[in-house]
Amino acid sequence: MSDSTTRQQMRSWGRRQLYSLFSSIGTLLSHKLATLMTALVLGIAMALPLGLFVSVENLRAVDLRASEFGSITVFLQREGGEGLANALAEAVSERGGAGVSLISPDEGMQEFTTASGFGQAADIFDENPLPWVAVLSPPPGRQAEVDAWVRDWEPWLEQREGIELVQVDHKWMQRLSGLLALGDAVITVLAVLFSLAVVVVVANTIRLDVANRAEEIEVMSLVGANNGFIRQPFLYSGFWYGLAGAALALLLLFAGLAYLQPPLERLMDAYGNQHQLVGLGPDRALLVLLMGGLLGLAGAWLSVQRHLRLLAHGRGIRH
Amino acid sequence: MITFEHVSKRYPGGISALKDVNFELAAGEMAFLTGHSGAGKSTLLRLVMMLETSSGGQVFVNGQNLSKTPLSMAPKVRRRVGMIFQDHKLLRDKTVFDNVALPLLIAGMRYVEIRKRVRAALDKVGLLHKERAWPPALSGGEQQRVGIARAIVSMPPILIADEPTGNLDPELSRELFALFDEINQQGVTVLIASHDLALVRAMSRRVLVLSGGNLVDDIPAGVTGRSAS
Repeated sequence: MSDSTTRQQMRSWGRRQLYSLFSSIGTLLSHKLATLMTALVLGIAMALPLGLFVSVENLRAVDLRASEFGSITVFLQREGGEGLANALAEAVSERGGAGVSLISPDEGMQEFTTASGFGQAADIFDENPLPWVAVLSPPPGRQAEVDAWVRDWEPWLEQREGIELVQVDHKWMQRLSGLLALGDAVITVLAVLFSLAVVVVVANTIRLDVANRAEEIEVMSLVGANNGFIRQPFLYSGFWYGLAGAALALLLLFAGLAYLQPPLERLMDAYGNQHQLVGLGPDRALLVLLMGGLLGLAGAWLSVQRHLRLLAHGRGIRH
Repeated sequence: MITFEHVSKRYPGGISALKDVNFELAAGEMAFLTGHSGAGKSTLLRLVMMLETSSGGQVFVNGQNLSKTPLSMAPKVRRRVGMIFQDHKLLRDKTVFDNVALPLLIAGMRYVEIRKRVRAALDKVGLLHKERAWPPALSGGEQQRVGIARAIVSMPPILIADEPTGNLDPELSRELFALFDEINQQGVTVLIASHDLALVRAMSRRVLVLSGGNLVDDIPAGVTGRSAS
């Protein structure tokens, strides 16, 4: 086969693809309402896992000031007094890797009376009942580093003499991180389920399209169209359905975020935290569009082959 | 151009549509295929189009043995045979132009070339002024002529027609047959199935007569007045 024939065949192929492309768009636009409804169903199906994903991402992004909440509070036995406290502080500095500050019983009492408003309560006691307290703080770092730091220090403190209680403020953060991990797992399950839903919805829509265009398919087959040519517009349609669904899902997502932003800001203000809601970056949004299109294509692929064959069988056309 | 050698066709259920049919249609020849409904005319044409495969014997079209051609090649065979149907098989939601252009779009032809060829084909059937019309707005005769334009637009060497005048009055039928005659003059092999015996005789062309699946008569061109049933 000569080069020019190959080139000619490539051009013919390209023109046929272009024809299928425009023909699929034309068909979708010829029944706008039905197309929109299908796209909307797909959009809602995709918006659910996307919404959860964005929520979890936002929770993760909130500045939890892990190093601030990651401190360990050590209550010393009262009998040890200042000497024990100083010895502990020294030992911690010697071991290294943690900041330590001591709170004397007097300081503790002062803090208690000002913070709690029970000023008079202190007068009940003959002597200050509070022990010496050492607060160990981790070096600034991310959640995981703070976790490791706590795991390292907690047992070391607990096996020391003269320690009444080791309290890890960090526990609730670990619980939150556990919840976030659960969120990730739920997203994965939802994403798989709803992807399946997208494939099934597109497959069913394409099945109806094939049935609606039975006459056209028959005529095309009679004038010499091969299976590929007949199938192509349906595959494009599937891709368009998926793409439109993904676009609508993104639209729903951003509309939802815009709606949630003001009340969330008020809530975060109340906690003295600044947080801007994070949506999906342009690269992730693009990925969602692409995935939507591919899922639609997969649905169309599953459907069209089978139903074209059934149709050909029913009408006595052999492809 | 079209050769049948001992061709038989049985449908599931034991119905024999064709029994040991033999004939040869030379390149550039024009012939009619007659017989009562159920005689096997449509089956014979469907074999030429590879819409069916024979149960026995061999069918040659354009020198190709269809009995030995895989089904996946059927679209290629059909592109070299123009076919006209009794019910036109036009797409109602596409313009006359787009209907006629369909075989060329399938071939992946350039749009400029498509435009030229479609207009030439429409001109030949006298419907160039209707290229923007929709098929349902045309009369039965006009629709059938659009069907002919679609069949000849890719310039196939063979044209076959299944009862093309089935829904037309005698005057329109005569005009249509004259058009087939004209196409044949340009070297296209033409085979037309028709039960309109008066009209067929008036054309004084070769006539193949089918009865109950058997080819019972083969009347050469120029012979008229013989019984054709």
